[in-house]
Amino acid sequence: MNPITSAFQKAIQDSGTPAALISIVSDIPFTPEQTNQLGVDFFHTIRGRAIAFGSGLKLANPALKIVSVVGDMMTLGGNHFVHAARRNIELVVVCINNFVYRKVAGQEAPGSHQAFSPYSAFEEPFNIPHLGNSCGAVYTARWTALHTEELAASISEALNKRGLSLIEILAPGPDYYTGIDNVQSELTRFYHQNSVLKNGEDPRSVGIGPDNKIVVGRFTDRERPTFIDVYNIQLGKVLGDKFEPYGKTESNR
Amino acid sequence: MKANPKDVLTGVHYIDGDVASGYGALAAGCRFIAGYPITPSTEAAETYGRIAPPAGAMFLQMEDELASIAAVIGASWAGVKAMTITSGPGYSLMMETVGYGAALETPFVLLDVQRTGPSTGVPTKTGQADMMQSRWGAHGDYEVIAIAPDSPQELFDYTIKAFNLAEKYRCPVMIMADECVGHMTEKVVIPPASEIELEPRRFYQGSPDQYLPFRPDLDLVPKMAKAGDGFRLFITGSIHDEKGRPVKNDEYKAIYTKRLVDKIRLNKDKIIELKEENTDHAEVIVVSYGISSRVSIKGIEQARSKGIRVGSLRLVTVWPFPDEKVSELAKKTKAFVVPEINYGQIAFEVARCSHGRANVVLVPHGGAGVHRPEDIAEAIEYAAREEKKIEQVIEYKTRLEKLVFQSRK
Amino acid sequence: MDNTQVDNIQAKPAKADDAHPMDNLLRMDRMPHIWCTGCGIGIAVTAFVAALEKAKIDLNKVSIVSGIGCTGRVAGYVKLDSFHTTHGRPIAFATGIKLGNPDIKTVVFSGDGDLIAIGGNHFIHAARRNIDMLVVCVTNFIYAMTGGQVAPTTPLGAYATTCPYGCVEQPFNIPYLADSSGAVYVARWTVLDVRRLTNSFVEALNKRGFSVVEVISPCAQYYSRINRLGDGLDMMNFYHDHCEIRHGEDTKNLDIGFQSKIIVGKFVDRERPTYTESYNKWLARVDEGTKDS
Repeated sequence: MNPITSAFQKAIQDSGTPAALISIVSDIPFTPEQTNQLGVDFFHTIRGRAIAFGSGLKLANPALKIVSVVGDMMTLGGNHFVHAARRNIELVVVCINNFVYRKVAGQEAPGSHQAFSPYSAFEEPFNIPHLGNSCGAVYTARWTALHTEELAASISEALNKRGLSLIEILAPGPDYYTGIDNVQSELTRFYHQNSVLKNGEDPRSVGIGPDNKIVVGRFTDRERPTFIDVYNIQLGKVLGDKFEPYGKTESNR
Repeated sequence: MKANPKDVLTGVHYIDGDVASGYGALAAGCRFIAGYPITPSTEAAETYGRIAPPAGAMFLQMEDELASIAAVIGASWAGVKAMTITSGPGYSLMMETVGYGAALETPFVLLDVQRTGPSTGVPTKTGQADMMQSRWGAHGDYEVIAIAPDSPQELFDYTIKAFNLAEKYRCPVMIMADECVGHMTEKVVIPPASEIELEPRRFYQGSPDQYLPFRPDLDLVPKMAKAGDGFRLFITGSIHDEKGRPVKNDEYKAIYTKRLVDKIRLNKDKIIELKEENTDHAEVIVVSYGISSRVSIKGIEQARSKGIRVGSLRLVTVWPFPDEKVSELAKKTKAFVVPEINYGQIAFEVARCSHGRANVVLVPHGGAGVHRPEDIAEAIEYAAREEKKIEQVIEYKTRLEKLVFQSRK
Repeated sequence: MDNTQVDNIQAKPAKADDAHPMDNLLRMDRMPHIWCTGCGIGIAVTAFVAALEKAKIDLNKVSIVSGIGCTGRVAGYVKLDSFHTTHGRPIAFATGIKLGNPDIKTVVFSGDGDLIAIGGNHFIHAARRNIDMLVVCVTNFIYAMTGGQVAPTTPLGAYATTCPYGCVEQPFNIPYLADSSGAVYVARWTVLDVRRLTNSFVEALNKRGFSVVEVISPCAQYYSRINRLGDGLDMMNFYHDHCEIRHGEDTKNLDIGFQSKIIVGKFVDRERPTYTESYNKWLARVDEGTKDS
């Protein structure tokens, strides 16, 4: 996790957003030391619900910037992800894809792939950037734990993006992999040898497939009105003067 | 603190219970409701969806109940009063997150408009079979407050009280309504905002680096903070110390979890609301809640006309359960009659607290309807006649029960 | 009248020459059904029953699973092994049936709210795994059974009871969602195109893998009424004037706006190993001792 935390730190600094306004909502147990260092509010939620929780936080106080870091996103959290993307609620969704549940050794997560030995599974994994993009996410990117510079830049861009941004990070889960000979270094070597940078690639073709090339890069970056934008426009149209745009005033508390 | 006049629809209304609850939520200062349509609670969500935007509050229909309750807890941590609305099947889905909210000491209100169960059951008819679930639904040790209103007026009044209790004790508050009360249309008087008392959230006022999020005040409830104020909150469902850091040893665990249950158990006297009538020299006391207490009024009248001295204990607050009161009444009376629209839930609590001193007669009903007053009157007569001390809860055979018995021959 | 009798009102017993050729596939003792005048679900069911007969499959091996909602009642009217499950779970349930007995052809027949809102997670996962099942999603843009709330397909600006000022959410384009999750057969028709719908059902019933047929239907009582669109017949006229058939169209272009053009047709028809095929292949590798630890 550490290279990712440092990427976060750099991203928060570069983005220009005050750390006090950033809330990280995650089902991955960050430690208090990590979150204190980042200077953010941290909510450790239950498996898979970080996006729903983050939506509530955001809509109750639109001034906040919410980063939902989800491990179980594509298992338990799949539904919340596709709907939040459709609504374009302003969130930065960071999906940590480690191919295996970190704490339940050997149990497959949808990101597993049979060719990625010794992490055998026979199920086809999700092409997460493609799914996110097709549901309406305005920014999709994928990086590995090795690409910390690019990851920091992506997170920083996403923090300033209006709408739902998705960043998939391929990262090994340290607990599981230590103890199995050379697995962690094998995995990171694998990332190094087998990732190929393709910025702007159509997300349809970035599935992690049997040819083992991991496509990384920033895939899509577009504009779409956010949920609160559409809400304000629609209600302003229908209610006229009786409606004060949401998210603009303190009276929304 | 008083309610905001912009949020209160003062006046005399003729509305159903669900709508009254929606009005009550806004009057209570609720700023966020996330819900999912589920009969028979949907009208409450629709009402709030209509009145919220002009008042600057937000209603969002989420993709499912799990998302709804998660969003409500998130909104609460952003500093606003939040609520969700559901019925049996949705209530079951929400349970993991209710436990999470309780563990984080998040104030929120959950309206469960009970239907006939189990499972899909009869969505459009009433039931009272979620009562035990409201207390024990999520895994682990925690305590909630549960209120059973019996009319649209009470749904308005007690929605506001539910928010006040939630803020005061930083716990989930369940409003255990039922389809009958939710869909019943009656007069509801909404007072002017100046007459509505609200409990403000107790925010920590000092400096962020000295803030201990889970250091309780004398009443065992800690002061709250919210995201975005520079507190660097660390909020987790894992068992944690005062700073919110996860801990594993059993000493910390004892100190932490015991407070979660004690803050309700030790403050029972301030939380419990009951309506007691004629219990002093009663031969039989009817213990009821929700719609069954409305039906009991007529049943008690019929029994009294036969000369039986009947008292009534109406549980407005069902959890925490009024152990001491029931225990005290058990010493004075011959028997309790507990009508409920289930096959025995609160009756077992009454039996537990009677310690064998009074008989407990359960008048069950499977749902898809309510008791007839005659059922309750007959049960009262039976209870008054029965001299033997019977230790188990006695299931009184109503007309419906007799049908069941015959069908099995 | 004792209102518990309402659901059991008996249709007049049919005389021999009153019998209809489809009676053997419908639960005639449950008629009349609960759907409103102007509802399109009945048409979808007729097309489906006609397809069952044309598809030449063993009907004893077909299970139909529905969820909660107006379309969720379909399982109760079709005379196959029928399952009326909890809200959002028919696909999960059908996955269980399929894996418990791979010889059974599972058909999930439910509505847009049930399948895509609360059931969204099960939908995308079953598509990804390519579980062999046919999913019939009847889209009427609203939650009708519960009184007209917003659905994940309700167009931007349309009205529903939980968006009394107009819908503020971008709706899902169900064929696009299915396609990007990995479905191998994706088609969309309105209930006006009964014959083409039937043919799609026949193809999908014979297709191995996760197949989705979206059926656009009027909801005269809620969606049309709340949005002042007329009755069922007016909606059918609307479909007649505003639908365009474009087979093979890229699914990302199939969005439906409020009273906009509706593109119908067969969009995806491809091959991918099904879940059971992949599983069996993996198991064979394991048995041969070539499994990596």
